[in-house]
Amino acid sequence: MYYKVSGVTGKLTGATPAAYAPQGLRATVPTEPTPMIFAAPTKVVSEKTAPVDYMGVNKVPELQKMFQKSDGIPVHLKRGVMDKLLYRTTMGLTIGGTLYCLMALYIAAQPRKPE
Amino acid sequence: MAHQAHAFHMVDPSPWPLTGAVGALLLTSGTAIWFHFHSITLATLGLILTILTMYQWWRDIIREGTFQGHHTPPVQKGLRYGMILFITSEVFFFAGFFWAFYHSSLAPTPELGGCWPPTGITTLDPFEVPLLNTAVLLASGVTVTWAHHSLMEGERKQAIQSLTLTILLGFYFTFLQGMEYYEAPFTIADGVYGSTFFVATGFHGLHVIIGSTFLAVCLLRQVLYHFTSSHHFGFEAAAWYWHFVDVVWLFLYVSIYWWGS
Repeated sequence: MYYKVSGVTGKLTGATPAAYAPQGLRATVPTEPTPMIFAAPTKVVSEKTAPVDYMGVNKVPELQKMFQKSDGIPVHLKRGVMDKLLYRTTMGLTIGGTLYCLMALYIAAQPRKPE
Repeated sequence: MAHQAHAFHMVDPSPWPLTGAVGALLLTSGTAIWFHFHSITLATLGLILTILTMYQWWRDIIREGTFQGHHTPPVQKGLRYGMILFITSEVFFFAGFFWAFYHSSLAPTPELGGCWPPTGITTLDPFEVPLLNTAVLLASGVTVTWAHHSLMEGERKQAIQSLTLTILLGFYFTFLQGMEYYEAPFTIADGVYGSTFFVATGFHGLHVIIGSTFLAVCLLRQVLYHFTSSHHFGFEAAAWYWHFVDVVWLFLYVSIYWWGS
């Protein structure tokens, strides 16, 4: 069993024997790092019932599965109805806005009427 | 997408460059229409379209990176170069304002009274709120580094807490600057002192707000488990940007607030 003090956290972490033979001399023991056991902070009984996930559960693996589905749908529409709705609103504003803008600029370009 | 023989990201066709370009057109034309005809319809439309584009484009980049795995090491290298070039361009943006400030202050014209600060200008005391602001930003630089190390060590709880603290310090800075602006004894219309002061510190303040938003997005993504201990470039980019904003403030503080008063 090999351990070293982590320079960042100041705690003990598992290490390979390399930490004990920095010059690269071959150690005679297996090079498997030892799983860390007592580096974790001690938990009191009252804390043990606390949920494992701090602030919500990890949904990333499900989302990865969903977004990596090979169905030919481009990434901006891949999540379904909500994506489509937002996309169509944006595209509608783009087309409508362009027309409105051209009209406004055309009117603004007219000479001022004499008062 | 399934069987490509290289590590680069072949993007899907995207509508966002088009909607973004039109958003910019509406925003600029809308501002001109606003100034000439007092109608904010077009400018508002442009703002909404730009915000919709920003949201969906960045949302898609998160999908591509975090959910589809397109941000391979060579792609991340490209993102790094992109962010470095962007921050470099921002450095030159601010260099222009410092140039204007030193041009005006190192050889003050007779119209200013031949002195700096110009005759009639009462400056802010650099050792009151501006010094506190310096401390606040330096502290936020510490907390963002704490967040980075927590992320690298897989300390989820600490990363969330330190990132929250960084954002709160950013908001506190913005609040203090708002108070300073409100109480300042000069305005942007008070000659070259007011112009250089408010343009330089105003753009810095805008960048603090953008940086706080960037960090807030990172906090949300950290809560949603988007970052791993070895792959979190979105956070690193936000941290780089935050440090940049911090350094600009140090120059502003030393030049404009301290030496310039």
